Amino acid sequence: MSTTYDRQQPAFYALIAALVVMSVGPVLLMFVNSFKLDVDIISGTSGMIFLPTIQNYETALCDVLWYKPDHVDHCSLKFGNAFINSLIIALVSTILTLVIGCMAAYALVRFRFMGRDSVSLTTLMVRMVPPAVLLVPVFGLWNNEFCIDKTSYVGSAIRDTFGGRGDVCLAGTHSGIILVYIAMNLPFVIWILQSFIVQVPRSLEEAARVDGAGPFQVFFKVVLPLIKPGLAAAAIFTFRIAWNEYLLASALSDRNTKTVPILIVNNMSEFNVEWGVIMATGMLLAIPPIIFTLFASRQIITGMTAGAVKG
Amino acid sequence: MSNSLKSTVVGLAATACMAGSALANPYEDYAGTTLIVNFPAHPHYDAVMKILPEFTEETGIEVEVDQLPYLKMRERQTLELGQDEGEYDLIAYVVFSKADYVFADQLENLAKYFMNPKLADPSYDAGDLIDGYVYNIGFAGGDKGYLEGATGSLFGIPYGSETSVLGYRKDIFEKHGLEVPETYDELLEIACKIPELEPGMGGLSSRAASGHHAAHAFLLHLNPLGGAIFDDQWNPVVNNEAGVKAAEALKTIVDCGPEGATNFGFGEALGSFLNGDTAMFLDTTVVAGQIDDPAKSQVVGKVGWALHPMGVERASQTGGFGIGIPSNAENKEAAFLLMQWLTSKEGDKLVAMAGGNPSRFSTHADADVNAKYPHMATFGEALKHADPDWRPIIPVWGKINADLGTTLSKVLTEDLDIQEALDGVAERTKDVMTEAGYYTWN
Amino acid sequence: MQRAMANRLTPYMFMAPAVVIMVIALLYPLGYMVWGSFRDWDPSQTIGEAEFVGLKNYITLWHDPNFRESLGVTLSFAFFVVTFEMIIGVGLALLLDRNIRGMSVLRTLFILPMMIAPVVVGLMWRYMYHPTVGTFNRFFESIGLPSVDWLGANALMSVIIADIWQWTPFIFILSLAALQSLPRSALEAARIDGATGWQQIIHIKLPLMMPVLIVTGLLRLIDAFKVLEVILVMTEGGPGLSTEILALRISRTATEFRELGVAAAMSNYLLILLLFITLMMFAFTRWQEMRTNRLRAAAEEDE
Repeated sequence: MSTTYDRQQPAFYALIAALVVMSVGPVLLMFVNSFKLDVDIISGTSGMIFLPTIQNYETALCDVLWYKPDHVDHCSLKFGNAFINSLIIALVSTILTLVIGCMAAYALVRFRFMGRDSVSLTTLMVRMVPPAVLLVPVFGLWNNEFCIDKTSYVGSAIRDTFGGRGDVCLAGTHSGIILVYIAMNLPFVIWILQSFIVQVPRSLEEAARVDGAGPFQVFFKVVLPLIKPGLAAAAIFTFRIAWNEYLLASALSDRNTKTVPILIVNNMSEFNVEWGVIMATGMLLAIPPIIFTLFASRQIITGMTAGAVKG
Repeated sequence: MSNSLKSTVVGLAATACMAGSALANPYEDYAGTTLIVNFPAHPHYDAVMKILPEFTEETGIEVEVDQLPYLKMRERQTLELGQDEGEYDLIAYVVFSKADYVFADQLENLAKYFMNPKLADPSYDAGDLIDGYVYNIGFAGGDKGYLEGATGSLFGIPYGSETSVLGYRKDIFEKHGLEVPETYDELLEIACKIPELEPGMGGLSSRAASGHHAAHAFLLHLNPLGGAIFDDQWNPVVNNEAGVKAAEALKTIVDCGPEGATNFGFGEALGSFLNGDTAMFLDTTVVAGQIDDPAKSQVVGKVGWALHPMGVERASQTGGFGIGIPSNAENKEAAFLLMQWLTSKEGDKLVAMAGGNPSRFSTHADADVNAKYPHMATFGEALKHADPDWRPIIPVWGKINADLGTTLSKVLTEDLDIQEALDGVAERTKDVMTEAGYYTWN
Repeated sequence: MQRAMANRLTPYMFMAPAVVIMVIALLYPLGYMVWGSFRDWDPSQTIGEAEFVGLKNYITLWHDPNFRESLGVTLSFAFFVVTFEMIIGVGLALLLDRNIRGMSVLRTLFILPMMIAPVVVGLMWRYMYHPTVGTFNRFFESIGLPSVDWLGANALMSVIIADIWQWTPFIFILSLAALQSLPRSALEAARIDGATGWQQIIHIKLPLMMPVLIVTGLLRLIDAFKVLEVILVMTEGGPGLSTEILALRISRTATEFRELGVAAAMSNYLLILLLFITLMMFAFTRWQEMRTNRLRAAAEEDE
């Protein structure tokens, strides 16, 4: 590429440098601190001169390490387990949201059918619902109403296979959390994908239909490949919310299905603020989003603009 | 030393003894069971985690622990205990949950376990448990509903007994020739003198953050200064002279405290003492272990311990946790065995040696424990002054506590007038109590 | 015939999964919440066992000074956050809308904060605001300035700063995109007429960007009411109620005070507020569409 760039004043570069420091600084600080012992963090006589240690990461990951670190008396953190839960929940909910969301978006864009307007309006309206508003009803429903009686055929089969006690409820299961996340993310995904599907030329679809493809074939073979950038953007945003969410997960998870954000908030508990370990867990939680940002920033930006500008 | 409880338990234990020991190993029937227990993330229970493997080895009963921060733990328990069948076999509960759980019939009455000769260990010696705590944490249905009394019975056993003690920096006190404060007047005077003597250092670090923390710090001063939340007829008296004095003491302490003290939770308050930013620390006994841990503390070996200073009386807090068996538990009998093992003389000593807070008089006097933790004698002494009635453990307390904590935080940060603030608390408390039916008999 | 039938069913088949999930996990819960808000509901009860109390929860809340304070905090948080983010974000976009090397790298670095978990953001800032070991006070100390009581006396300001840090990039990116899609001809014309940089910004760029900016601002406003984790981790709503935004109060009422009915009523108040903002956004986009249509029609007539 032979683009020419404008020359700028030094003050301009200074501003840019300052901005970069501001946006990346806190993350970097956390990164550095996650390699310090608590004593070093608290006394903090020198910012950068210290003996780096991976102790914090060892403490955090003690339940999945193949060896037992010397400084860990008993492994209480169970971070590895939470990390796996987070992965399962975020990945499954992202994939399902995308599949379901782009089918719906396609229907809304390409078909005229009864109820289309009300569906589309509802989708837009529920985008504003904050997770906190869902807390009370979801807590009540998932624990008390969305249950299968343990004496029923299905219920007893589940109890026999997976163990546990009481009625089989959505609360405390991965699926329970995944279901809320799909519902929370669907409106946004539908909204964003609509703007991409509109741009797919109708002629392509019609050509495929003439060749004898059914509506589902048209959708999967023609439309989907063309909206890949939109899918990528939607995927990243959905993943981000499912990966980072705390409130609903903490209301719905039990001891086996805790996700990483819950673990971090729990460990900020009042007795021991172990800054080093917390920073290490924070860093581990931040890594997937950071990777996405570094490798897919173009898609993120496309997604953001498509989502907002289309209004 | 009393009374109904002790005699019941000892009597039953004796019966069990006479019945003979047909079973060679009382744990035999339960070996292979897996108990699911819910414990708080708390230094005492961290120590418990270290001794649990010994229980499994001795009895063959597996234990799976779900450790949560204690406020989270309470939320979780609210949910679990409300189900028809719960997951937890044994729970540790915060003192103030006692009222809720017992009232909702969610905890097992322990009588039937101590009556069962196959379960109750004759050498348990219940009289050795620190009685104030047994009543404070385990007892329900006595006087006022939550204190010792003829109509009460036992629903839990204290485990992780805490009280308040004063930690002070020996080096600083020596350097300036200060006396360890015995009374509140001395305490406040020294707390405000220290920032002058040692620029940059705060006097006493206290919790003060909005909500539970501020309320806790206030209650810590309320009893010794002669105040109370309620009089005997459940009328709020928190806004009387003693109440105002306690709030003033808290404000003085925070004002003369380290930087940023108005937003200190327990962690920050302790952190600032560990970091050497304050000369005194007045709070629970659980911190001793961390203060001696060089990985966390800058003040190892520099800290001395004294009793909670006196106001009109000596009254330190009674806090900590109890352990009880949920009514909807699956393995209640095995859970009782674990409970009994943990709180037995041997278990109590084991946990003390691992850094926990013992709940028995004998453990506080134990030579090995004292050799390892020289502060244990002072702590044992402090426990004798612990006041079981330092806060009302009634079902609506959570609400009152939250209001008290928020209002006090306003006093500390927004200069709300103390009398006015406490009048407000008293008025709202009155409404809460009226609604809850505490004045039905008046 | 059969074919036509299948065709008519197609859109419903495409819509069905989304509709089913949203009804089960979004609409039904919202209705359940409205129903629950009329009850005196404790977490240990099922909703059927809870006593029906009519509008009591709403009335209590309306007169509850704590709820009002929390509402006030929420509104001022949202207002300040959106205002500052708009000013800084748009300002930076205008400033950085130049043809410089490495712009894409810069944009990547700028969006980093908004991708990171709110819980982690809260934790980083809580550390940096720490009264003694925190980065800011250490820095102030080293250059001889008095330290600031960040999360104490200035808690609301501190959480606002953290939110500005996290979300200004959102506005920045969107306004930059809007700027770069402005019609070059208008800008050229202005330049030829001899307009200064400021004049160009005020008379050409800002008015042309305005539709995008308003939508962006409203989107941010809606999101500002959703903030919870950052504040939860940083201050837990304290000191006093000074940072207790509604979302946090809802969660505390439900879990700490164990009053699900009141929490549900509070959620409804929040929903009504957000509904109002959303409707404003709809009205605005409708109005704008109509205007562009009218303009286009007028332009076509001219030809």
